[in-house]
Amino acid sequence: MLSNLAFKQISKRGLGLKSIAPRFLSSTSTALKSTYDSPDFSNYLNSNKGSSDKSRDFTYFMVGSFGVLGAASAKSTVESFLSTMSASADILAMAKVEVKLSAIPEGKNVIVKWQGKPVFIRHRTSGEIEEANEVDISTLRDPQNDADRVKNPEWLIMLGICTHLGCVPIGEAGDFGGWFCPCHGSHYDISGRIRRGPAPLNLEIPEYEFSDPDTLVVG
Amino acid sequence: MLSEDYSTIYNLVFKRNSVFVGSVFATAFAFQGFFDYGVTSWYEAHNKGKLWKDVKLKLGDAGEDEDDDE
Amino acid sequence: MTAAEHGLHPPQYNWSHNGMFDTFDHASIRRGFQVYREVCAACHSLDRVAWRTLIAVSHTNSEVRAMAEEFEYDDEPDDQGNPRKRPGKLADYIPGPYANEQAARAANQGALPPDLSLIVKARHGACDYIFSLLTGYPDEAPAGVVLPPGGNYNPYFPATTSQMAKDVTTFLNWAAEPEHDERKRLGLKALIIVSGLYLVSVWVKKFKWTPVKHRKITFTPPKK
Repeated sequence: MLSNLAFKQISKRGLGLKSIAPRFLSSTSTALKSTYDSPDFSNYLNSNKGSSDKSRDFTYFMVGSFGVLGAASAKSTVESFLSTMSASADILAMAKVEVKLSAIPEGKNVIVKWQGKPVFIRHRTSGEIEEANEVDISTLRDPQNDADRVKNPEWLIMLGICTHLGCVPIGEAGDFGGWFCPCHGSHYDISGRIRRGPAPLNLEIPEYEFSDPDTLVVG
Repeated sequence: MLSEDYSTIYNLVFKRNSVFVGSVFATAFAFQGFFDYGVTSWYEAHNKGKLWKDVKLKLGDAGEDEDDDE
Repeated sequence: MTAAEHGLHPPQYNWSHNGMFDTFDHASIRRGFQVYREVCAACHSLDRVAWRTLIAVSHTNSEVRAMAEEFEYDDEPDDQGNPRKRPGKLADYIPGPYANEQAARAANQGALPPDLSLIVKARHGACDYIFSLLTGYPDEAPAGVVLPPGGNYNPYFPATTSQMAKDVTTFLNWAAEPEHDERKRLGLKALIIVSGLYLVSVWVKKFKWTPVKHRKITFTPPKK
């Protein structure tokens, strides 16, 4: 039917029958001449007709609710995929190490393993704390106060990895009464600060806290 | 509601598509929190007496200050 | 052949976690863990359950720490390379009764006591089967059954068999499905959201399609 109509349209234009052209261009003239019977739509019309803002609001509300539920589900879905990238519970459970401090006498070193890395724990004597504080930090390669390196001056907690090339320094050795790295001869003082040798930085301080006065949690 | 209220809502929220979409996302965000809270409350009320927090209460103060999240 | 293949189905019991939105009874898990520790653990391991998972499920943090510390685990060797031992930590897994499978078989006349971590999922009938098995031992071996030396037909359970079997089954079900409670909570959320989405989408679909479906196109050919 449609192709028939189109054909007629084209053929009439092709023939250049100008008198007929308005029939296809003007809707008014078409409507006037139309024999089209308007079907009865009353079953399908909105009964709220008249208060059009209300029905329009309702429509937007429904479409908006669809969007709200969809957006919430999409967000949850994306979140659950992203959360698979975070560390699992068994990894997190091993990410911390607890150390009982009462077992470490004053003036002793203890090395614990934390996430595969050695952690030095030194119970410093009051003399050692004084010694660490007396150093003029302006002379240091990596200037840092001893107070910035400890939470409790009695306990010095550091990663036991030389900042030069990653060897494990030896405790109670070297020219500054602290640690000495046997690989290339870096000397660290009793606060773990680099004093002589090739290492560029002080020994690193890991995250730690004293969960109670007797327990150290590294990590 | 008066018909003016409907046109106020329409003009405030629905008229501009950017406002409409923005409020959809904002509502989704708030909805998630309330929905989770509501469902969890119902779920815990439905299973009252069987949950860990009920068992913990019966144990007394033994495990009061513990953090159970580990 | 399994019992199910023989057609022996366990009866269905009214577990407190049977319902669609019902959690485990955590008091029962707690008692069941004690039954496991005092009875089952003599022969059965629980390899896939770490101590930490008991926290906030059936025991408090300090209780679990104390239980874990009762066991010794291999530690890093010392400076001379000698093996060392340390007390258990929360991150450790519950140790089994035997060092390896051969030791387990040798101690049980060649039969290997299965690991109980996933036993509820691994048996047809799940909880019902485990409970029926535990309460199914008759007081005396049926006539004609020759027990291996050391074998036992009603090995441990005294009068409260049913109560203990119920608790340990609940515990083992938790061990096999530790995500159970959270899973049902998320399931409830998903059901509400998805049915809501369905209803609204039906409305939106109707709204969009009504003018299309009820459109009428007529063509009246022009009279010649």
